[in-house]
Amino acid sequence: MNSINSSDKILSIRNLSVNVNQDIYPRYTVKDIFISSVQSLVQKKNTKKTINILANINLDIFRGQRVGIIGVNGAGKSSLCRCISGVCSTDKNTIMINGKARFVLNSNAGIFPELTGRENAELLSYLMYPDLSIKERREMLQESLDFSELKDFLDSPFNTYSKGMQTRLILSMISAKSCDLLILDEVFDGADEFFQSKISKRILNTIFNSGAAIFVTHSIPQLRLVCNRLIVLNEGQIAFDGSIDDGVLFYRSIKK
Amino acid sequence: MIRNSLNQVLILTISNMKSRYRKTIAGFFWVIANPILMFFVQSTVFKKILNIQITGYSVFLLGGLLPWIFIVSTLDMCATILLNNGEVLRSYNINPTVIVLSQVLDNLINFLAAFFILLIVFALLGNIRFAPLLLFPLSLSVLAIFVFSISWIVSILQVFYRDIKFIIQFGTSILYFLTPIFYPQEMVPQNLQYIIELNPLYILISPIRSNVYNFTLDLYVAQIIKAMLVSGITLLIARKLWDIKKNEFYQFLR
Repeated sequence: MNSINSSDKILSIRNLSVNVNQDIYPRYTVKDIFISSVQSLVQKKNTKKTINILANINLDIFRGQRVGIIGVNGAGKSSLCRCISGVCSTDKNTIMINGKARFVLNSNAGIFPELTGRENAELLSYLMYPDLSIKERREMLQESLDFSELKDFLDSPFNTYSKGMQTRLILSMISAKSCDLLILDEVFDGADEFFQSKISKRILNTIFNSGAAIFVTHSIPQLRLVCNRLIVLNEGQIAFDGSIDDGVLFYRSIKK
Repeated sequence: MIRNSLNQVLILTISNMKSRYRKTIAGFFWVIANPILMFFVQSTVFKKILNIQITGYSVFLLGGLLPWIFIVSTLDMCATILLNNGEVLRSYNINPTVIVLSQVLDNLINFLAAFFILLIVFALLGNIRFAPLLLFPLSLSVLAIFVFSISWIVSILQVFYRDIKFIIQFGTSILYFLTPIFYPQEMVPQNLQYIIELNPLYILISPIRSNVYNFTLDLYVAQIIKAMLVSGITLLIARKLWDIKKNEFYQFLR
């Protein structure tokens, strides 16, 4: 991914398409593969179909924008986030980011359940914040662990935690540092505490202090609280790009 | 960037090891006990029961069997490692090679621990020459690069073709008998020697064996050059395979 020069533009996407070639007939066994190969040779039949996961996406995100992305399941939300985050291969110059991007796509991936909360937090710090210095990492970890208020439980195995405690530890880590472009994909879905406890304030601070943010959720109240721009994805395309209120109306109309 | 990835390799290796030994009383012992036990069983069976006539057979076996166990166990563990870590790879911006490398490093530590425990025992018994051991780090590095490369290839292929791990298990069981691990290369008839010469696993194991058993500089130089070539080519193939497959990789990773 290359950097762009304009200081206000954080993200620029040009003509991004992601296609997957899939077999029309599932090929589970050697027999299936044989039949399908012979069919394509003899009948000159195309045994593959192309599925457009993302089709010709063009998008600019500027400093200060907190962009919500909604869409029905399979609309391409997570694929778009992954492409922006680099967890997907795209042509050079398709996606350009001005600064450092950080993304969290799933709140508890990478966890070793047998290890303690403290050990897992250290591991997550290396996965989420790979470029911190030793001192910065130590301070960030200490601050996040203090904030989680798990105290003595920090040295108990993660798999002994209640769902709420697990969420508290992970959200404390996610919200520890802001960055130029923060991408959060459904990380707070199912986390009731998001709106109820003090952690919501910290998460909002991290989002608001970041240069720009992309926030994927199914929750309209979360969108209204966090975002100032809304994109509705439908069948791999940007179907709407504008204000939250208009976007929500549009989203409800396509869901019907 | 490389430093960040190395840090991730280290933390994943440490977490993996800690997690494996948690709640076990003997911990690390179980992992190194297996190769040591295998060594003693094979050493006894082939020396005492099958009566293989080789001077210093135990050291000969040490130089072949332990690297073999390292290669095979790493291949077995790495075959499914990218697939099993699909969630991590799809959730953080982490290079897939970090995951493979951390497993190779984990197994390398286990291999070295078992290898040196046995080596010290034989050194105390006066069966080891020290000078050739100075070249051990070179042989080990070449072996480690090969094991990483082949593990990388296998782990990528497993994402696309789920049969790979079965083929690996099946293939390594057969290869064990076709590789001069518990018998010397000289035992193989002349007309079948080409099988040995072309066996990449043996090419990588033989410099390690030379470091502990019957070292001659001429032979070692020939062995290590061959091993470097195989290791380098495997690394290039792995890199090329990743370049070809990386576009589809994340789509298949579920």
